[in-house]
Amino acid sequence: MGQAYSTIAFDPAKCDGCGKCMTACASVKFDSTDTTRSLIQIVRSGGASIEPPRPGEFELALCRQCADPKCATVCPAGALGKNGATGVIDWDASKCVDCLLCTIGCTYAGIALDEHSGRVSKCDTCEGKPACVPACPTGALRHVTTARIYNEVGSWEDLFAPGLAGCQGCNTELLMRHALRRVGPDTVLATPPGCVPGMGSVGFNGTTGTKVPVFHPLLTNTAAMLAGVKRQYERVGRKVTAMAIAGDGGASDVGFQSLSGAAERGERILFMVVDNEGYMNTGMQRSSCTPYGAWTSTTPVGEHTRGKSQDAKNLPMIMINHRCEYVATASTAYMEDLYDKLDKALAASERGFAYLHVYSPCTTGWRFQSALNIEVARKAVESNFVTLWEYTPESGLHFTRPVDKPLPVTDYLEAMGRFRHLSPEQVEHIQKKVTENLRFVRKIAEQADEQ
Amino acid sequence: MNTTTTEAAAPAVAERTPQLMLVEGNEAAALGVALARPDMVAVYPITPQTSLVEKLAKLIADGGMDADIVDAEGEHSVLSVLQGSALAGGRTYTATCGPGLAFMFEPYFRTSGMRLPMVMTIVTRDGITPQSVWGGHQDAMTVREAGWIQIYCETVQEVLDTTVMAFRLAEHHDVMLPVNVCLDGNYLSYGASRVEMPDQAEVDDFMGRKDVNWHVALDPLRPMAVDPLTGGSGGTGPETFVRYRRGQCAGMKNALRVITELHEDWARRFGDSHRFAPLVEEYRLDDAEYAIMTLGSMTGAAKDAIDEARAAGEKVGLIKIKTFSPFPVEALKHALRDVRALGVVDRSVNFRWNCGPMFQETLGVLYRLGRQLPAQSFIGGLAGADLTVATFHRVIAETRALLERPAADEPVWLNAKD
Repeated sequence: MGQAYSTIAFDPAKCDGCGKCMTACASVKFDSTDTTRSLIQIVRSGGASIEPPRPGEFELALCRQCADPKCATVCPAGALGKNGATGVIDWDASKCVDCLLCTIGCTYAGIALDEHSGRVSKCDTCEGKPACVPACPTGALRHVTTARIYNEVGSWEDLFAPGLAGCQGCNTELLMRHALRRVGPDTVLATPPGCVPGMGSVGFNGTTGTKVPVFHPLLTNTAAMLAGVKRQYERVGRKVTAMAIAGDGGASDVGFQSLSGAAERGERILFMVVDNEGYMNTGMQRSSCTPYGAWTSTTPVGEHTRGKSQDAKNLPMIMINHRCEYVATASTAYMEDLYDKLDKALAASERGFAYLHVYSPCTTGWRFQSALNIEVARKAVESNFVTLWEYTPESGLHFTRPVDKPLPVTDYLEAMGRFRHLSPEQVEHIQKKVTENLRFVRKIAEQADEQ
Repeated sequence: MNTTTTEAAAPAVAERTPQLMLVEGNEAAALGVALARPDMVAVYPITPQTSLVEKLAKLIADGGMDADIVDAEGEHSVLSVLQGSALAGGRTYTATCGPGLAFMFEPYFRTSGMRLPMVMTIVTRDGITPQSVWGGHQDAMTVREAGWIQIYCETVQEVLDTTVMAFRLAEHHDVMLPVNVCLDGNYLSYGASRVEMPDQAEVDDFMGRKDVNWHVALDPLRPMAVDPLTGGSGGTGPETFVRYRRGQCAGMKNALRVITELHEDWARRFGDSHRFAPLVEEYRLDDAEYAIMTLGSMTGAAKDAIDEARAAGEKVGLIKIKTFSPFPVEALKHALRDVRALGVVDRSVNFRWNCGPMFQETLGVLYRLGRQLPAQSFIGGLAGADLTVATFHRVIAETRALLERPAADEPVWLNAKD
């Protein structure tokens, strides 16, 4: 199990420098009105100025509760250390020799000498409920924690059997194990033909790879079959989650009618699509989610064709137009975001149709080393090739991981072999489509903001 | 439904005054479904089934039937929703025909493989193309290798009664197979007739306890993998697959016995106006030298023609097939025991043998009969064409001719221009 992660995130665009966070901290921690004692410090970039401050001008000085804390590394007395359960860097006053080396080791000004006590002081996140965060009137401060993922979530049972026959480094296996352990044992799981049953989730000849009731629907009828299961349990008053882990082909191509029908009827289903952008289980054939230019075994690279000649269908945007109870895109490179969306999708699936579209790079089909899976997934988001957002009918669409300074799309394309053959014109086409797609999604997000 | 406390306490339903109604075949099917108390009906409208599902929707809307209704976006999902419900323990029903049945073929084949006890009415319709929206048996005949039980009805009363019995048949532990109740599009679907409504309390007693998913379930309290991969050439794969297929065939074989028992029980409970030959009806067959064979609603006109021929001194009888799948080989052998010529009338086409499908199935029975029996295939009533008493007089005459000369290799196309 990895180390817990707990930090206070700062959005400079929202900070107007009011200082209420510092007031709250000084009050709670030292019963003082002196904001210089606050463990969180908001500092104006470039020093003081007579010009009125503009958003984006303020910076944060605060302990980041680093995963690899330099303050602890340089401490000669062992007074600083990462708490595996809370994620906080604990300071032990009884061991500290007041050498102040930690204040030099930290590059964030997260630990500093407190003139009043003569000792170092640092943020301990107020035992997981930092006083500064609710004090912030603009939402510039956010308490972000993945301690749940590493601790609470880690203690939940993995509801798939060990030894599923996925490819080495399969991102889909990672995703489905996380997703099902969150959704829990009172679940009926549908895994239509594709990688998910292909690696043995339903099983072979009487054995099974799943600890909850699991079945092969047809490639074409996943949503409809689940609707029947869910409705019957509702009829007899039992709470059972109906969940699909379906590939992009079965969802966007031949299974689309069933998906669309169930969404329109508001069937109470959690439908998770694992988008590896093609029929990877059967040897990398093209689906309507395969992006433009990508090599697949049915869009080969030859003298006359250079990979897929059409753009991908944007399935999650189509699902928004079904007015689903919840629609979101996610990526395994952003697990805390994924877990947050799983929680919301699970709750929404008791009220109506919940649709979760997770981008899942395929080491085998996309042609990259299996160790690079998360890196490829992250670059997709950082280049805006993939956008992470969520939608509800009440709040509309909101980005959950906006990328303001995107990487050039070539950083993403060059990370894998399936785009190796691209001509400059094809790359230009892809960059243009990325921009278009982003503009399109942003427009819908802006409409939500105007509401 | 006129169930009251006093009536429920009465000893035998047959002694009561039955409720009489004038209903169309589609309506009768819907009333039969209501009597069987399904948990879920899923529907998609298609001619000539539409008035059936409209009636179901109305029954549910008016509180005359306590079932969940799913207006699915197509027949493929109709059957898929029902599969999910059945796997979670629900009693399920739908109706379709023609193109709708073709569209649902993928889950249709699977329903019998998963041994899901479901009932589906096929309001039979001819196959397209040529384009047509009228009756014919081509839809049901085309899917006869998909492992469903198929039972054809002659009258509106038989539609109502058979629909209820079909649920009990499907859920019988020796059977556990889906059942098609076939009723002729146009002639039965829209044909109004007097029916006697069976009493709900007595029907409840007949149905017994619902037990749909004891053998295969999607239930967190009984976690199992439903339909894992089997087959292939190694390990236990082939024998596992074969075990399932053999089980389906065994269920089919058992169905012949169970259908007979259920019809007997039904008639005992509800009286002679609810008595129907379960597998094969023999009509005026004693001392008959030759016979004609029918299926479904055409039988009414055929019986009239037989009566007239008998009155004119012809030694002719009629054999009606009610249970088409599983094919009632022994019952048909019994019916054919003294017959010396046979005319078989189909309302659909067997393209492989250039004859009617029922004729082609009967050829197998003739082989097992162990003696030569000249037989002629007649194809008529396609795409809504009427099979009248006059048509059957022609069938009778051409069949009688087989006593003197061998049968033709070609079918006789009734309703044809020549």
